[in-house]
Amino acid sequence: MGANSFGLLLRLALRSLRGHRVKVLIVGSLLAFGTFLLVFGTTLLGNVERAMEASVTGSLTGQIQIVSDKAKDQLAFYGPQAAADQDLGTIASFPEVKEALLGIPNVKAVVPMGRHVAQPILGNEMDQLLGEVRDAVNAGDADMASRLSAKVRRSLGVLLAEYRNRLILSSASEEVEDGIRDLETATSDEFWADFASAPEQVLAFLDTRIAKLMDDSRDAYVPFVGTDLQAFADSFDSFELAEGEMVPPGQRGFLFNNHFFEDFSKNKVARILDKVHEARTLDGKRIALDPGLQAEIAKARKYTRYVTDQLDPVQASTLDAELSRIVPDEEGGLDEKVSAFLAVDDENFDARYRFFYDEVAPMIRMYRVKVGDTLTLRSFTRAGYPKAVNVKVWGTFRFKGLERSALASAYSLVDLMSFRELFGLMTVEKREELDSIRAEVGIDELSRDEIESALFGGDDDVVEEHAAAAIDIGARVDGIEAVSAEANDSFHPEDIEKGTVLNAAVVLRDPSKLGQTLRDIEELTAARGLQVKAMPWLAVTGIVGQLVLVLRAVLWVIILIIFIVALVIINNSMVMATMDRVSEIGTMRAIGAKRRFVLSLFLVETLVLGAFASGAGAGVSTALTLLLGKTGIPASNDFLIFLFGGPALHPTVGVSNILFGLAAILVVSVISTLYPARIAARIAPVVAMQRKE
Amino acid sequence: MTAIVEIENVVKEYPLGKLKVRALHDVSLEIQRGEFAAIAAPSGAGKTTLLNLIGCVDTPTSGVVRIDGQSTSELNDGGLTNLRLHKLGFIFQSFNLIAVLDLYQNVEFPLLLQGGLSKKERDARVRDVIEKVGLTPQIRQRPNELSGGQRQRVAIARALVTRPAIVLADEPTANLDSTTGTNIIELMRQINHTEHTTFIFSTHDPKVMDRADRVVKMADGRIVDDGRNSSAGAA
Repeated sequence: MGANSFGLLLRLALRSLRGHRVKVLIVGSLLAFGTFLLVFGTTLLGNVERAMEASVTGSLTGQIQIVSDKAKDQLAFYGPQAAADQDLGTIASFPEVKEALLGIPNVKAVVPMGRHVAQPILGNEMDQLLGEVRDAVNAGDADMASRLSAKVRRSLGVLLAEYRNRLILSSASEEVEDGIRDLETATSDEFWADFASAPEQVLAFLDTRIAKLMDDSRDAYVPFVGTDLQAFADSFDSFELAEGEMVPPGQRGFLFNNHFFEDFSKNKVARILDKVHEARTLDGKRIALDPGLQAEIAKARKYTRYVTDQLDPVQASTLDAELSRIVPDEEGGLDEKVSAFLAVDDENFDARYRFFYDEVAPMIRMYRVKVGDTLTLRSFTRAGYPKAVNVKVWGTFRFKGLERSALASAYSLVDLMSFRELFGLMTVEKREELDSIRAEVGIDELSRDEIESALFGGDDDVVEEHAAAAIDIGARVDGIEAVSAEANDSFHPEDIEKGTVLNAAVVLRDPSKLGQTLRDIEELTAARGLQVKAMPWLAVTGIVGQLVLVLRAVLWVIILIIFIVALVIINNSMVMATMDRVSEIGTMRAIGAKRRFVLSLFLVETLVLGAFASGAGAGVSTALTLLLGKTGIPASNDFLIFLFGGPALHPTVGVSNILFGLAAILVVSVISTLYPARIAARIAPVVAMQRKE
Repeated sequence: MTAIVEIENVVKEYPLGKLKVRALHDVSLEIQRGEFAAIAAPSGAGKTTLLNLIGCVDTPTSGVVRIDGQSTSELNDGGLTNLRLHKLGFIFQSFNLIAVLDLYQNVEFPLLLQGGLSKKERDARVRDVIEKVGLTPQIRQRPNELSGGQRQRVAIARALVTRPAIVLADEPTANLDSTTGTNIIELMRQINHTEHTTFIFSTHDPKVMDRADRVVKMADGRIVDDGRNSSAGAA
């Protein structure tokens, strides 16, 4: 077919399209929409995946995670799988694995890790307050002691009222009645009369009988990753110290994730006000329009005792007076006034927020745990025994861009030594089993002591663990834990790599070569018999990664449906068009057009339509992407912040997405035209001669 | 004179349900180069069937149809198409112009299918033949903007543009009023004289028959009369 002939085909196609406007409109808009969806969908998804990849790989997992090839469970950092116990086994010899992997040119760093969860032992507000009183008494500061004891008495009064309410609301239980009796004792003047002369006696009663009455639901669990902190900070680009300082090399230490720390440690009322403030200033939300913020505020109003409990009588009356000015209509007690004060709306929020920080905050303890404190972390080891470790909080950190994502901020960091203790060690049987495996595979050139130290990161820890195990199960019930010797808060940096490592993050120089590097790692580790397996980052993100896969599947199903619909509609309309054009086609055939010409005529017609329509669809998609790239798609919730790798997604246009979209549409158009084109090509030239009645 | 069309003992049957309808019974006919011949018969007598066989849009059930010496039964669809494209020109009763193309493009169409000519040669040929049928002023009009007579002139131009050996016209005047019909036949006659193109046309109009050099009369699928018309062309 010559150029002339193609020109003719094109001309005929354009004329014919112009002559069938309704068909062109229906089929064209279908194809345009299909292209738009395909191009825009794959572009957006590609951008989300890249952003999420940056979130995940830059903050926690690296591009590749290494686990033992005997891992029974799938490693997952996020979602329900992450919360469940995962049996990952341990990497048989981390130093060897690290050395081997660093030999691969694209591997920048290998960071040892282990995930675990612990409960910080903090005591409640009353415990803390009584601690302060005791300190003042011990220091001989009578003035401070009496000031603080007044605070205690105020607080007890509030608690007593709460207990009396409880008695009214619930069916009288002995426990509540006992509590009321004790509180009545503790609030009586006779009880406090002895405080100056025999403070110990008073404090002992309060410690044992009263403190437990004040329940505190904030005994949260702290998920953490035990790691080589220095290597972690150096390897993950988005890691950034928010407060405090880095744990010095060779020191034990804890780094809170800042977002988690604020939720966990900050005064509840202050935290809620912070959140409302953030939502108003950063997200442009309005209290009046946002049920979520209204619910938070309602919650804050119930938390008044987190403010009032901490005031001594002088502070209480000062605040009372000031609040009377701000909420003059509220005639109740201080708690009611604070509650009324916290009934903020868009009008008064900024002023009240300022007032809270200027006037109230200085009077109360804003953080339960502060940077510099020593934290007692309690966890159950793998073997099921309780274990507690004291570890200093050196600072808080954040992942750049993900500061506001709770999901990205789930994990705090602890040194590997403390992690190993908290995670617990293998049972004696397990250890013997491992020893025998090691003997079998012939890496038993280490001495017995070295093996222990390699496994457990230090002999004394082994003793600790066994001591804890030896105590008996009752220890668990009574909550008496063996707390590691604080004296041993430093270690030899070499020990970091010798002990148990559950998994390891591999950070790549060029993340785009992920697939190749994965294969390199698999080959190398198999060749050296390192007994590990490598997984790409998406595989270890748990539900998040699955969600992306689901999104991708949904997109493809939608596109597939649209394509099938387009296919059917194009096919039908072309068959109809063929029927309308039988005489015309017969004439062409009679005049001397070959079958192939007729076939081409139909194909060119759809291709031209497809090209215009898909060009329009791709154009709209590109324009929209560029626009969104400029304005950004705001991440309206925590999960989206994580997916978008920051507060907004700025999608970029992918040429491959556009080309793919255009190609796919053209293929669909051609396929849908094949049948009608074949029918048309079969029209016999003799029909041209038939009489039209 | 040499025969451009040779028909020997041709039988043509069509299936009609379980029956076979015989449209042509043992027809033999020769048409010489440069003839201006009419096939005349009432409806259903087989003249369109005969024309279809000569036009290579159909092949005989038995017997031989030769166009310029080439037997049509020996050709496949592609071969028949080539024969139509290079040897034959068609003028249809309903004009059968391509609605989406303008006058010029309709005439140009067979040349584009043929290929081979340069754009310039093609343009000259198209304009020349349009000039001959007297439609130069309407050269960019679309078929629906033309009268019936004008459309049939376009069809004649389209049939002539490839300089075919034979032009077949199936009742070319049936959809035209009598004056226009006479004019169309006159135009064909004129071209037959000047270009020596063979014209074979079917008709049942006595006035049209009068203009033919030769009138082949058919009835019931047979040729019943084949006479020279001495008065033809005199007017």
